[in-house]
Amino acid sequence: MAVRPVLRLPDHFLKQPAEPVGRVDDAARALAVDLVDTMRASPACVGIAATQIGAARRAFTIDVTGHRKARSCHGEIVLFDPEVLLAHGPVVAREGCMSVPDLTGDVARASTVVVRGLTVDGTERVIEADAFEARALLHELDHLDGLLFLDRVSSHESLFRRKVYK
Amino acid sequence: MPVRHYAVSAVGADRPGIVAAVTGTFLDHGCNLEDTSMTILRGHFAMMLVVAAPDGLAQETLESALAEPASAFDLVVAVRAIDDDVPVSPPGDAWTVSVYGSDRPGIVHRVALLLADAGVNIVDLSTRVIGDVARPVYAMILEVTLPKGTDAGDLQQRLGVLAGDLGVECSLHPSDADIL
Repeated sequence: MAVRPVLRLPDHFLKQPAEPVGRVDDAARALAVDLVDTMRASPACVGIAATQIGAARRAFTIDVTGHRKARSCHGEIVLFDPEVLLAHGPVVAREGCMSVPDLTGDVARASTVVVRGLTVDGTERVIEADAFEARALLHELDHLDGLLFLDRVSSHESLFRRKVYK
Repeated sequence: MPVRHYAVSAVGADRPGIVAAVTGTFLDHGCNLEDTSMTILRGHFAMMLVVAAPDGLAQETLESALAEPASAFDLVVAVRAIDDDVPVSPPGDAWTVSVYGSDRPGIVHRVALLLADAGVNIVDLSTRVIGDVARPVYAMILEVTLPKGTDAGDLQQRLGVLAGDLGVECSLHPSDADIL
């Protein structure tokens, strides 16, 4: 159990695609605990991908509970080897990232998604999400492919300085 | 190594090579580009840059070095030494104001005046004249910071009244980012 430091640009590790977990073993479960602990350590944080804490494994956690833009809400989610089965209805919204200091950007993402992955028990889970929860899922999935929101902004005019989060 | 900062602007008729030429001069003199904004304004390429220069680099030296690309590309260049203390913008919430409608004098001024009177800080503003030459449409997007405690509904209402006066459309919406 540990809160791990969140990697920030220009750390090149963030640009590396992560490797599949395959089987949920003790190491994977330990990673899940670190992901959740690290997410909980920052009050404004609604998700962390393994890449962001220096683990090249396809795993992330999100929790959009209580977020004003959330509609669907599955509470705390940890998924291994997640994949998008369905995504539609792109919506533009402004997002930032713990790994990208100072900037935010307008990013179009699907507003409805179906994502499948393995839980900490090693069982398959299919999650249908919309609105903010869908955005959070897609943002974390991008991390596992080495993509940051900066790779997705529609134009330079949609990049903005981020306000300071204490 | 200590540095000093210069604010530099350069404007000239757009053509390929302007950025390469101007930034080449900075590189040759050991300057690091910090925040920059460059865009085409009605066929003219406008560059605004804040550069970090080696402490020994005098303003006159930089100005005479920039004379070369300025002459090659017919640019108007201005250099100004700026304090290294970066002024901090007032805190508050990020909102976006969009204004668009038939072009007429005073749109920017009157919207900006209303915002200033409300203590609202403009952090980014761009305007474009779009549409037919015969019926030009003026479009303006502002990124603003509303001081804590601002009644956004009231501000929206006052902007609406002003927009009615000016015969344009105006909307105000929050643009706070979600940190994922």
